[in-house]
Amino acid sequence: MINAVLVMNTQGKPRLTKFYEPVAVEKQQDIIRSVYSVLSSRGENFCSFVEADDIFGPDTKLVYRHFATLYFVFVINKAESELGILDLIQVFVETLDKNFKNVCELDIVYNFNKLPGCWRIYVFGGYVWVMAQ
Amino acid sequence: MALSGMRGLSVFISDVRNCQNKEQERLRVDKELANIRTRFKNERGLTPYEKKKYVWKMLYIYMLGYDVDFGHMETVALISAPKYAEKQVGYIVTSCLLNENHDFLRLVINTVRNDIIGRNETFQCLALTMVGNVGGKEFSESLAPDVQKLLISSTCRPLVRKKAALCLLRLYRKNPDVVNVDGWSERMVQLLDEKDIGVLTAVMSLLVSLVANNPEGYWNCVPKCVRTLERLTRSQDIPQEYTYYGIPSPWLQVKTMRVLQYFPAIEDPTIRRSLFEVLHRILMGTDVVKNVNKNNASHAVLFEALALVMHLDAEKEMMSQCVALLGRFIAVREPNIRYLGLENMTRMLLVTDVQDSIKRHQAQIISSLKDPDISIRRRSLDLLYGMCDVSNAKDIVEELLQYLTTADFGIREELALKAAILAEKFAPDLSWYVDVILQLIEKAGDFVSDDIWYRVVQFVTNNEDLQAYSAAKAREYLDKPAVHETMVKVAGYLLGEYSHLLARRSGCSPKEIFIIVHDKFPTVTTSTKALLLSAYVKLLMHSQPPEPELQELVLGVFKKYESYVDAEVQQRAVEYFALSRKGASMMDILAEMPKFPERQSALLKKAEDTEGDSAELSATKLRLQQQVSTALVVSDAKPNGASAVPLTRLSSAPRNIDQMGLPEVAPQPPPYANGAVPRAAPATGAAPPAPPAAPAPAPAPSPADLLGDLMAPLAIEAPPGVGPAAAPVASTPASAILALEAPPSAGLAPAPPAAGDSLALALMDGPPQVQPIGSIADWFRSLSIKESGVLYEDPLIQIGIKTDWRGPHGRMFLFFGNKNAAPLTSVKAVVAAPSNLRVQLTTVPEIIPPRAQVQSPLDVVCIHASREVPVLDFSYTSVNVPVSLKLRLPVVMNKFLQATPVSAPDFVAKWRALAGPPTKLQEVVRGVKPLPLPEMADLFTSLHVGVAPGLDPNPNNIVAAATFYSETGGATLCLIRVETDPADRTQVRITVATPDPTTSFEFKEFIKEQLIEIPYAAAPPPPPPAPSPASMGLTGPAAVLAGLI
Repeated sequence: MINAVLVMNTQGKPRLTKFYEPVAVEKQQDIIRSVYSVLSSRGENFCSFVEADDIFGPDTKLVYRHFATLYFVFVINKAESELGILDLIQVFVETLDKNFKNVCELDIVYNFNKLPGCWRIYVFGGYVWVMAQ
Repeated sequence: MALSGMRGLSVFISDVRNCQNKEQERLRVDKELANIRTRFKNERGLTPYEKKKYVWKMLYIYMLGYDVDFGHMETVALISAPKYAEKQVGYIVTSCLLNENHDFLRLVINTVRNDIIGRNETFQCLALTMVGNVGGKEFSESLAPDVQKLLISSTCRPLVRKKAALCLLRLYRKNPDVVNVDGWSERMVQLLDEKDIGVLTAVMSLLVSLVANNPEGYWNCVPKCVRTLERLTRSQDIPQEYTYYGIPSPWLQVKTMRVLQYFPAIEDPTIRRSLFEVLHRILMGTDVVKNVNKNNASHAVLFEALALVMHLDAEKEMMSQCVALLGRFIAVREPNIRYLGLENMTRMLLVTDVQDSIKRHQAQIISSLKDPDISIRRRSLDLLYGMCDVSNAKDIVEELLQYLTTADFGIREELALKAAILAEKFAPDLSWYVDVILQLIEKAGDFVSDDIWYRVVQFVTNNEDLQAYSAAKAREYLDKPAVHETMVKVAGYLLGEYSHLLARRSGCSPKEIFIIVHDKFPTVTTSTKALLLSAYVKLLMHSQPPEPELQELVLGVFKKYESYVDAEVQQRAVEYFALSRKGASMMDILAEMPKFPERQSALLKKAEDTEGDSAELSATKLRLQQQVSTALVVSDAKPNGASAVPLTRLSSAPRNIDQMGLPEVAPQPPPYANGAVPRAAPATGAAPPAPPAAPAPAPAPSPADLLGDLMAPLAIEAPPGVGPAAAPVASTPASAILALEAPPSAGLAPAPPAAGDSLALALMDGPPQVQPIGSIADWFRSLSIKESGVLYEDPLIQIGIKTDWRGPHGRMFLFFGNKNAAPLTSVKAVVAAPSNLRVQLTTVPEIIPPRAQVQSPLDVVCIHASREVPVLDFSYTSVNVPVSLKLRLPVVMNKFLQATPVSAPDFVAKWRALAGPPTKLQEVVRGVKPLPLPEMADLFTSLHVGVAPGLDPNPNNIVAAATFYSETGGATLCLIRVETDPADRTQVRITVATPDPTTSFEFKEFIKEQLIEIPYAAAPPPPPPAPSPASMGLTGPAAVLAGLI
């Protein structure tokens, strides 16, 4: 399943965070920081998967994509397909783009109250749900 | 730019964004929180709009990473609002802000239920979504039937049914009882006929979870799943909105193939044929295209198909096709595909018969080791490690060594360890092994742990052919300009022991050796200095006839360090100085180190330990386990018999000595003669008598002694009182070890029974010599508080456990892993359940094939409270040696407990209601493990007893509550109070109250067991006066208590 969804900018500021298992607030911040430090050290042509055993426990992976100033990060366990998650990110970003006409980080900041709604179209309690365009 | 539609919210967000630093941001946020708090206090004046606005602000603050500890009530209250706008905000913010354990969620169960069964679809969706995100156990109990009804309803719109499917999945995960297999599996079959792809995808997600828990129950879904796959791959009847870049719903394809992987092998030939047709089409029909997104989607399907093919154990031809495909993937430019190709190839290693086809791609895999991306490097390292065997070890290890010099720090340690392990496991000859490790130390000395170089020393000591070679090598390395300290240690040790074998070579006279070693002396740490001093005294001893110049130099060093600040160095200097004046007797004391007894490589052990959870074995771990058994005895796997000799001898020689030499040690009285023999005939190999004592200068070995690990076996083997300066080695422990190491079957004078170590003897008693490689009691204890881990392990088998507990029901998976190259036959497993439990074990196959793992689920139901645990009676035969074990299964009482938060008034009321015995019991317990309070609280938490801090006014007391689930008693609330005495931590008074007398008693006894300090060592408990503990079927702690009661 999907353990968490994190959207953060390239400075490491979280823009949307959703943990599908209960995690204490301080721990969430630790996680966001360590995820950011891992991602920010990765180059453009690297693959989209990073093993996250030391951040989320054994057999978890970060699957991420980098768009403009934002990272879209999924934390998944073995039961998810990595490439499927990349597709999902793509669909999500395409949806945002349609809704906000050339979405940029600021749209997400100021419309953060619309995001969870958009978001939940795709992921439901830790499971990929709808994949229609 | 669109705005949030709320001015106040936008202004706040702008403010936060404009903050220059974190401090300002915190101030701004605190100000806002204070504002919201006061506004909420005077709630009456708030308009719905304001409520929404504040709740959104709270969520924004929460997402920025601040703790928002108020306003939850207001948020939850919005759910009950009649208007969509407020309800929506309420639902969304609640599911983001609160988690499933939050108390307030209980308050809205009814409202949520009304929304679900109501007629308003929008509300239904909102409610289902929230439950699907944060619904907990209570939700599942009260809502599951309604959600199921929505899912199978024919009148609901697909949108609602989709949500219902995933909502049910959440509820099922929280409480599997909500889905009854008997009725529901038929329903699932019907649901799989669904035409709407969206609903079907959601149903498939549900099915994955259902099948993962109970593959047997959902067999009837298999044909439908295969049909769905056919429909998708043929693009029949797929609406446009569900095709993604031209591929018919890749997610549904992936999910369906996932489901099929949870079923054990599919036997039905017709289904199998059509499934393979589909898979074949996927494998052959996928191309790499330009569009990244299309590529991702098609490969997601493809990789899943590969996994399914591996699972189905297809014919060899298809497997080779898969390997060929993977070989293509690991060569593409696109990093994601390359990564997954490597990962899946590692998984492929588990499939028999494809290793050779994988080896064809070795060059490509090695080149991935140089990829700039660490994720890819890690994968390829894993793969190389997994595919290594005797035939390619040389290439792979050399490649790893080369890579080591350029590798970044993140991966070096792992790399060094893996290279060392591979070199040890697959060394074609031992001199190569020594070369590899020395290179390893040279290139990455900082990452070479002591274990690695200890191992080299052990190998060299045990193999005479190797000694001169490695001494010469070590000498070469010391000539290099920069020498790592670990290298100084190895070289110092090896040259001290064996440099006399080189004496005729140029530049290797004892004096020259001394000078080159001593050159490093000033720059090394004190522990290494101590080691070097030992090397010097050995050099001195080996120079026969004595070389005055060398003697002068060495004695000068000893003299100088006689007053050194470090006690260990000082002591060695003083003692060696004295020893070196003893003439002939010095030779006895300082003679060559004896051979080491054979033991499991500390490295391999370490590698196993770090691999983590035993239940979920990674491919590499499995491979590793398969190979452990052959680690040192690879001779049978080797084509060339001649080169196998040193290895075989290595494994057998030390044992011979143990068996033949040691038992004879005791009767040999003259210590001098004893020591002189190896000097006279060092290499005859004809039953060498006991090795002489080591230079063990310190009576009590200092913990800083770097050679601790190396010396330890020696100290044990040293016959008592060999030399005047030898450490007074205690003879009792020595004989205890002997008892273990000399199998009675050897037919030699058996070691005298070591007093007080009946266990060691008991284990040896009887033909099976299979011993657990760890403490059964420790495993049991750790499983008592963990859900998975090792229950038992010996060189032949590993039994792992994974458990899942829900209320009075538990499901335990027993994993039997055959570590051996031979099959385990006549496997029998029977579980004897005590009266308080009902236990059902599915049959275990009679034969466990070589290196395979079988699992068998065990269902447990708790009938009433008791501390007795079931016992697994397990037996197997390996190569005609029958082994039988009795293992206690960790079904301890706390597995049926669940921490329960109780409010203060509630607790007091219930506490008072239970007045005294037999429902409320009190006892003063003495001899308790002295624990600080927080640790005691942690202990309770680990036992699933929820500590309620602050409930008791006295800070020295702990108050806690838990619910105990049993079949007869249902849910029983257990309350407990532990009063500690700060002056005397070893005694506490515990009071336990539950509505049921038996539960009270058992719970009290259980807690007592946990608090009392009980030696878990195998030593039998002090004999209780009354009935013998064994007769009561209790062992360990329970026995002690039985004695006390």
